[in-house]
Amino acid sequence: MRWSLMVAASAAMLLVGLAVGPADLAPATVWQAVLGRGDEATAAIVRDLRLPRVLLAYLIGGSLAVTGASLQAVVRNPLADPYLLGLSGGAGLGAVAAIALGLGGAWAVPLAALVGAVLAIVLVYRVALAAGGHLDTRVLLLAGVVVGAFAASLMGAIMALSPAPEVRNALLWLLGSFDAASWRALAVFGAYALFPLAVLYGMARPMDLLALGEEPARFLGADVERTKRVLYVAASALTAAAVSVSGIIGFVGLVIPHAVRMLWGHTHRALLPSAFLLGGTLMVAADAVARTAFAPLELPVGVVTALIGVPLFIWLVRRWAS
Amino acid sequence: MVDDAGRAVTLQAPARRIVSLSPATTELLFAIAAGDRVVGRTRWCQDPPEASAVPSVGDGLDPNVELIVARRPDLVVFYHSGANDAAIAQLARVGIAAASVKLDGLEDLARAALLLGRLTGDSVRADSLVSAFQPELTRVAARPPAAAPSVLMLAWDNPPIVIGSASFLSEIVELAGGRNAFGDLEQPSAPVSIEAIAARDPDVVLVAGGSGDPAWARRPEWQAVGAVEAGRFVAVSGTEFSHPSFRAAQAVERLRAALREVVP
Repeated sequence: MRWSLMVAASAAMLLVGLAVGPADLAPATVWQAVLGRGDEATAAIVRDLRLPRVLLAYLIGGSLAVTGASLQAVVRNPLADPYLLGLSGGAGLGAVAAIALGLGGAWAVPLAALVGAVLAIVLVYRVALAAGGHLDTRVLLLAGVVVGAFAASLMGAIMALSPAPEVRNALLWLLGSFDAASWRALAVFGAYALFPLAVLYGMARPMDLLALGEEPARFLGADVERTKRVLYVAASALTAAAVSVSGIIGFVGLVIPHAVRMLWGHTHRALLPSAFLLGGTLMVAADAVARTAFAPLELPVGVVTALIGVPLFIWLVRRWAS
Repeated sequence: MVDDAGRAVTLQAPARRIVSLSPATTELLFAIAAGDRVVGRTRWCQDPPEASAVPSVGDGLDPNVELIVARRPDLVVFYHSGANDAAIAQLARVGIAAASVKLDGLEDLARAALLLGRLTGDSVRADSLVSAFQPELTRVAARPPAAAPSVLMLAWDNPPIVIGSASFLSEIVELAGGRNAFGDLEQPSAPVSIEAIAARDPDVVLVAGGSGDPAWARRPEWQAVGAVEAGRFVAVSGTEFSHPSFRAAQAVERLRAALREVVP
């Protein structure tokens, strides 16, 4: 019941996302274009822009929710989200540096963001390991915040010193957008995301054990050290790729896993797929709002996820508390 | 004398040492034959070529007050913006006069030239430029184009930021016989969806300050925009396309010719 409801909601939201947009197209026209009929310009809008865009938004929304749930399990801290762990700072620094240095090429900014995010992940991971040879999750969180702050400072320095007024556009890019969606972007991200998503789902049982605490988990036979490392690397690598495609879209990774836990409990075998379906649905909805609320102007989708996510979260907390 | 911010500008004598904090006012000061009085400029001021010989004080928005004072000016000309209020107040404290000049569009040129003329105590050149400019612009703009192509102007590609009607470049495009594809947006620039661009189906894409096809045009998502897919780019370069100046008529003529090559 719950699964069919979520799949139906996903499908419905994907259709809504496909039907709305700044180009004023009747739903029938959109459907004709999906089927390959109608004029060329409409076909280009529906098949080359909207369709890959809603699918990419769904995939990234789902991935961010799953990574959020996984990282919350690793550090056993409800605040954990990929961005708290320094990733956004690294990605932002990469993007701003690429623009300030005037790096050309069609993919310079996303690639630089990816490099920056990966560097931040490696740095945070190394710092967390340095404390006594094992992955101390408290140090991991601390290192994430510290590396993030350091990257933000470097970003501020570049923005203050750079002669390029375009640098402020990097900040707009960082707030998130699916404007770079294309079939190619969808295929590349989809192929990439499959492996970390499968790894995370495969770790659902060890995540349940970790939730009990590291000592009990070890006692129950989990390889705690390996679990934490694999989870952290898989979740971070997935988020880094998401950032390079669509910028930093917050709150989905934070709010969705909590929402699922409050509604349906803590077992990761169910939590992870539920978070994926719900995260994808929310992201498609947020993107639809971003595209249409002030059309032809477009809101950064990260702004919309916060505007939707925060009230949703407050409502859930109140409901859960009563 | 009152500047464009509504503040009184008090000078004991015509300004002899001027720091100019926007490319448009620097060019204008040289144009009204007050170039020899410019003792400071921003790093962006490249016109006329002689301006490059003037020492730079860095940025023009929220500028470095110490560097400005070190040039020992008796007048500092600011771009009219709230970001400059703090610097203007600091200069007032050390007794240096400041004038805010709003110079965003061609309609501001005459007023700005006459104000700068009065501040330098010599309006002769400013007067003659102003009286020659409007007829020249009218003459250039009077030649009606066969068809008014809709022109997409991008300030940035990812996320796409388009130029709206409040921009100077939009004004030049309209005078050259084109239509700004996003002329209904009242901002100077604003982020939009690629879908919104594709839906408006512009005839050409204006690439200001570049040559050839821009790198972003190779990205797959942009191929949904007909003009990008067909490679209908119009490249123009030169600062007459980046700020209002008395060279605007030349800019209009050059753009008109460039548009004709792509959209006959």
